Amino acid sequence: MPSLRVVIAEDAALFREGLTRLIESRGHHVAAAVTDGDALLAAVEDQHPDIVVADVRMPPTHTDEGLRAAIELRRRHPGTGVLVLSQYIETRYAARLLEGNAAGVGYLLKDRVAEVAEFASALERVAAGGTALDPEVVSQLLRAGQHARSLAELTPRERDVLALMAEGKSNAGIADALVITGSVVEKHVASIFAKLRLPPSQADNRRVLAVLRYLGS
Amino acid sequence: MNPVSAGQRPRHRDASGLATIAGAAVRSPFTPRAGRELVFCLVEVPLGLCPLVILAALSTLPLVVTLVAHGGRPPARTAGAHPAGVIAFVGPAVLIVLLALVVLAPLIGRGLGAVHRRLAGRLFGQQIPGPPPIRRGRRPLSWATATLRDGPGWRCVAYLLAQVPLAVLGCYAIVVWWGAGLAAMTYPLWWPWFRNHPPGVRLSPVPVLTPFGVPHVGTYPGALAAFAGGAAMVVAAPWVTRAVVGADLWLMRWLLGPGRLARRVAELERSRALAVDDSAARLRRVERDLHDGAQVRLATLAMSLGMAIDELGTTGEPDLAAVRELVAGAHRSAKDALVDLRDLARGIHPPALDNGLADALATLAATSPVPVALAVEIPRRPTPAIETIVYFCAAELLTNAVKHSGANAITLTVAGQGELLLLRIQDDGHGGADPAAGSGLAGLAQRVRTVDGRFEVASPPGGPTQVTVELPLHA
Repeated sequence: MPSLRVVIAEDAALFREGLTRLIESRGHHVAAAVTDGDALLAAVEDQHPDIVVADVRMPPTHTDEGLRAAIELRRRHPGTGVLVLSQYIETRYAARLLEGNAAGVGYLLKDRVAEVAEFASALERVAAGGTALDPEVVSQLLRAGQHARSLAELTPRERDVLALMAEGKSNAGIADALVITGSVVEKHVASIFAKLRLPPSQADNRRVLAVLRYLGS
Repeated sequence: MNPVSAGQRPRHRDASGLATIAGAAVRSPFTPRAGRELVFCLVEVPLGLCPLVILAALSTLPLVVTLVAHGGRPPARTAGAHPAGVIAFVGPAVLIVLLALVVLAPLIGRGLGAVHRRLAGRLFGQQIPGPPPIRRGRRPLSWATATLRDGPGWRCVAYLLAQVPLAVLGCYAIVVWWGAGLAAMTYPLWWPWFRNHPPGVRLSPVPVLTPFGVPHVGTYPGALAAFAGGAAMVVAAPWVTRAVVGADLWLMRWLLGPGRLARRVAELERSRALAVDDSAARLRRVERDLHDGAQVRLATLAMSLGMAIDELGTTGEPDLAAVRELVAGAHRSAKDALVDLRDLARGIHPPALDNGLADALATLAATSPVPVALAVEIPRRPTPAIETIVYFCAAELLTNAVKHSGANAITLTVAGQGELLLLRIQDDGHGGADPAAGSGLAGLAQRVRTVDGRFEVASPPGGPTQVTVELPLHA
């Protein structure tokens, strides 16, 4: 993995410093660490980072300025990965963030930072144009009763696979997580797509997008 | 809001004082206020007699109906011929008119009441709030029942009836005091013209109308005496009208405005809205404190430990110094999170309050950087909600005094008085605290109002500041 240029936007100094340290310990470079949405947009214009890590709630209104800045960034700089961190998960935020395109987007609970290796791999995945969705988002979407009927057709195992798929994991990643072989995962995925009437595709993020579109539409 | 009352001015009882009072008395008929009161009486008299006129008109209605029914022939003649037929016709007519009157009475009351209220508002700036609107359905029957059950409307009717004697009194004030007084003052003017009879002719004496009888005058000095009496009546007249107007306004406030219950309901609605807002605001503050405090610290702690585990798990020799630093950081974060959570918990409910207000306030006073003289005298224990409000008020007001007033000494008193609990905080600082300036004072005042309490700040520039909070013992 080549070294990434990262811009951090987070208003809590303690967490910002910890995050900087964590990212640098993984061999990446934190080009700027700012404390609000406007500064984030300015820093991106300045630094051309590979990826931005942004908090949702920041000054001045402490509501969703981080999210709005992230959406604006995705419009202005489609090539820059955006990883949004938050202390709580809002499915609607996820929907706004993923609108139209799930490439190079991540939305994770701040808690996930504690699993350093997983967080680092999510960071790298998003920077490379992949997706990282918090399992919480996925389970919320799966719980939503709207598509209960078609989801009911899935076996429990297929639901697990769908959840991991929605998080942005590749077939190999899913196989690792569920301790099964890759070919079994492939069989499950094909079965899920068949049951949800979705055409199968190779790219991870398109799978996520398809799943999310289906679940959240 | 300055409770320091202006000292009573010493009354002048000497000659110049009496002259001032006499001057004021002479001028009294010519003041704008006396004029407005006279106008009020002049309008209120016919207005007040309106209901009588309506009643009189309605009572003649059956007669008119009977006359029309009998082709214009006088009823006296027909009554003899067909008495049973007339009674059969007039009876229902009277009944219908009475029914209509009863049903419409609250509406008439509301309409006329509004005119009276507007008059009081226009002339004296007495803004008497109108009665709440009638709640009625759409069907004719429910419309009639709603009108019949219209309490505020009936109160208006009661006002109209009670105002009739006042209208008579107003009439008396105008005719007997103002009118007769002015008339008596004209006696010396026309006396020489009409009474210049040749000597020897005896004319009957002229009557003078006064409130105390009708004396007769027969001589020119008598006419001058009538003038003096008239002048005295005109000087006294404004006080008579003022009494009538005062009684009328009192009656309006009592009967035309919303009733005691309606006012209470409005008050309760207001305080409930405040309570709901207040508790929502407090929850939001708790969420914010958690989000910005403990949650951040715990996330940082988890991150530090995650990095330490990562470092220890690396192949080869782990950097123990880095790990030690990470763990130390996590340790720090954990301790800070504990402090945050403890503060937050105390902000939700101070554990010291479990032993009663006296203990909790003593703890509060003991931890204040500025010396606090504390006096707590509570014969009966208030409800927990009131104790909490008193405690938070005391805490916030102490903090304010310490932070902003530059005080060297603070007095904190809590005393139970009957059904009330009084909290008073006084400091010797430089004053100038403004509850309207978006300070914590406004928030406290709002919280106090949620339980029908009162919150008063007296803080003149230069000090001292005194805040008084009055709360019911039971919320």
